[in-house]
Amino acid sequence: MILGISFDSVEENRAFAEKFGYPFPLLSDPDRKVGIAYKAAEGPKERYAKRFTYVIGPDGKIEQAIDTKDPAGQASALLPTL
Amino acid sequence: MLRHILGELFAKGRRPMLKPGDPAPEFELQDHLGRLVRLSGLRGKRVVLWFYPKADTPG
Repeated sequence: MILGISFDSVEENRAFAEKFGYPFPLLSDPDRKVGIAYKAAEGPKERYAKRFTYVIGPDGKIEQAIDTKDPAGQASALLPTL
Repeated sequence: MLRHILGELFAKGRRPMLKPGDPAPEFELQDHLGRLVRLSGLRGKRVVLWFYPKADTPG
């Protein structure tokens, strides 16, 4: 399954999901705790999450780590895993 | 040798991330409908965790 995650509020994410009709949950991480744990933020004051995508295996371990800002880490690399 | 040097050069431009094989840190967060989602509750499934900078920005 796909989970989106950002530092936005639940309300902001709800508006975002409704506008684009995303069929998957958008998680709200306002204190950046999860972002920091996944290195997508350097501290609790970081404004925006880095464009990181992780594939987490059924065993709870990271399978793939993709920086989608890196041209070598395009999101298309994900398609075979879905 | 050349491959090693090139690898080091490219690695420098890369931002630090968790690596394949690392345990995915546990979390429990609210989704856009206010439902609690816990990573350990999804064990047995493959999960794509997509960090995005800001709701309603392109890309």
